[in-house]
Amino acid sequence: MGTVSRRYGATDGFVMMPDGTTHYIFGFVDITGVPEHMIFESRGRAQLPAPLLEAYEGDDVYLTLTNLGMPGRPDLDDAHTIHWHGFPNQIPLWDGVPEVSLSVPVGRDFVYYYRPRDPGTYMYHCHFEPVEHIQMGMVGPLVVRPLIEKAPGYAGRKFAYNDPATEFDREYLIFLTEMDSRAHHLVANVQEFDWTEYRPNYWLLNGRAYPDTVKPAGAAELPAQPYSALVSVRTGERVLLRFVNLGYQQHTVQILGIPLRVVGEDARRLLGVHGEDLSRRRNTLYLAPGQTADAIFTAPEPGVYPLYSTNFHRNTNDGSSFGGMVTEVRVSPRRARPERSRARPVGRRRWSHGDNRPVGERRVPQHP
Amino acid sequence: MATIDLWVKDGYLSTPDGNSIYFWGFSASPDGRAQVPGPHLVVRQGEQVTVNLMNTLPLEPVSIVFPGQWPVSVDGRLARPQYDQAGNLVSFADHAPPDRGVISYTFTPERPGTFLYESGTHPHKQVPMGLYGALVVRPADYDPGDPAHKTAYGFGTDTEFDREYLLITGEIDPELNNAVGEGRPYPVPRFRPRYWTLNGRCAPDTMLPDRVPHLPHQPYGSMVMGQPGEKILIRLAGAGVDNHPVHPHGNHVRVVGADGRLLRGGTDLSGRRFTVLVGAGQTWDLVFSWTGLGFTPENPIPTVLPNRRNLGVGDAGWTMWSGSPYLGQKGDIPVGVVSFNEFGEYYFMLHAHEEHKITNWGEFPGGMMSMVAIYPSLSPAVGTLP
Repeated sequence: MGTVSRRYGATDGFVMMPDGTTHYIFGFVDITGVPEHMIFESRGRAQLPAPLLEAYEGDDVYLTLTNLGMPGRPDLDDAHTIHWHGFPNQIPLWDGVPEVSLSVPVGRDFVYYYRPRDPGTYMYHCHFEPVEHIQMGMVGPLVVRPLIEKAPGYAGRKFAYNDPATEFDREYLIFLTEMDSRAHHLVANVQEFDWTEYRPNYWLLNGRAYPDTVKPAGAAELPAQPYSALVSVRTGERVLLRFVNLGYQQHTVQILGIPLRVVGEDARRLLGVHGEDLSRRRNTLYLAPGQTADAIFTAPEPGVYPLYSTNFHRNTNDGSSFGGMVTEVRVSPRRARPERSRARPVGRRRWSHGDNRPVGERRVPQHP
Repeated sequence: MATIDLWVKDGYLSTPDGNSIYFWGFSASPDGRAQVPGPHLVVRQGEQVTVNLMNTLPLEPVSIVFPGQWPVSVDGRLARPQYDQAGNLVSFADHAPPDRGVISYTFTPERPGTFLYESGTHPHKQVPMGLYGALVVRPADYDPGDPAHKTAYGFGTDTEFDREYLLITGEIDPELNNAVGEGRPYPVPRFRPRYWTLNGRCAPDTMLPDRVPHLPHQPYGSMVMGQPGEKILIRLAGAGVDNHPVHPHGNHVRVVGADGRLLRGGTDLSGRRFTVLVGAGQTWDLVFSWTGLGFTPENPIPTVLPNRRNLGVGDAGWTMWSGSPYLGQKGDIPVGVVSFNEFGEYYFMLHAHEEHKITNWGEFPGGMMSMVAIYPSLSPAVGTLP
């Protein structure tokens, strides 16, 4: 098995909404491989959501958290942690709950470790004063890939789980959060927010509100929101959508015209105890905060298929329509193209076809 | 045959931030205090149950409904909705009139499982005011002395457990409760919860034992305790008016029952989740087990534990950490930090993942949050229901 080593900095930054407003956030920034004397250049450059963390089942994952401090709130000396949400049998030391283990003060490092055994879609987030730090943006996606992709006969193909029935051609992340801009404004201005008054006015897919959701990954005008939520596929392709809800509201989403086959929930393949396929066909996906779902569809004929929250109040930006949790599935015609080589080395192809992350973010898991 | 007497009374709840909130609750004796939730009722499948309700509220009728039980009879006939003289619905079932009225319900639970019992009289007000509780129905073949028959749903249903806990979710808007206490109306459109509860308590009180003297109206704790590898049955019941996603750290839960129904229909439909959405009025039976990653002082962790002076331990002045990565070991805790760790046990948070619900009126930590504690060894008397 391989080793995945990452280093994330915890700091602050700003996100932009399509109505021209800017909002203060806390968050993570990938500083893997950055020389020690240069890490502080990443202060104030948090991204929303946090960088995608991906590993293979059985990998040794070492995630170093470095608390870079908050240049926008120099008075605030909060510690941070990483909680990998959903990893079974974790021990408290690496579970990231400061009340029952450790937290990382400003200027310090700590290494979190786990060897994932179950493929699927997870999430990670800071658990220090979580009501504030999660809403402020310290949330990220976590994907564990199945070992079947390394098995003879399957190498070079992509699967959600260790099950040939979960094969796919492209995958996209749909990461659901909300933002109450009053809370962000008060935190930026060293004021208290009463969290029981939480009432969001922006609803986000991959950290962006529509129409920014359909802008390309790495769009220059959205420096802190590098992940697109546009789903671009070709007719006939099998598409895996990895849904994560890390907001504080329950969300229902659907794709107009495309039913979904839910093959996994909370990083577990939906199988009966005797291996029966318990996949569900759904027009809508209903996710509570802290849940994930893996859904596969086969792209229909070319066209534009809206993907949106069916809680329609959430298709707005601070009250204006359209906005919020809306994006598009754009299906283009089939293209005659050479068969992909089945002999491609494993570990070379991550998110290569159908990637809603910017090119510079496409990292390859390290398998020495 | 089981006979249960419940008195409806009022009282004041305590919250960890020092608030005192008027509420209505059930009491198990004429001299006892009102409590929230009402007494945990544990009965047996197939055995007739009679619940006698005595209502001491001066102005309000009160009834109890038993969702999932049918038929429920009153005076030898089916319980039926009650209307006032103008024909307006007052109660979903026969009620006890105000000021010492009495009513008696009889039913025979057909199926094992976890159920709610709650007021059926103006429940928009009476249930958030605290008139709710949970009913556990043991399978007919239940035998706590035989592991194969110590089950949630009966022999051969793969629902064996070593310990069990009952957690009931709720939420409180103190302004509305106190308005009722002052004889004013209960304005539902202004309902905005400031407290979210497990077994009527807010964190950190949720982690205290049952029946602590300073919480006379909130007798039940919510600390889930067990040993590595044990099957811990967590019965979750959603008694309030909102839905709550409950996330246990440490492991997935195996969801074995919903609304008092074994998840099996032709095939095994149980599944594993890391977050369970408890809808208002729903119940879920979950089996939690934690086995760990195998690290011991002889098989040490693969990371270096830095000097504790370089890390945050007990930022709030207290910690539940042992100071060691290993189960059953204790390590150094910085001077000035109070440790609530007893002998190297592990703690995993169990909480609502709508994170504003783990505050007490906006202040973390609080609300709908508790811990799962894994001890190196634990008395078998811990984690039992009556």
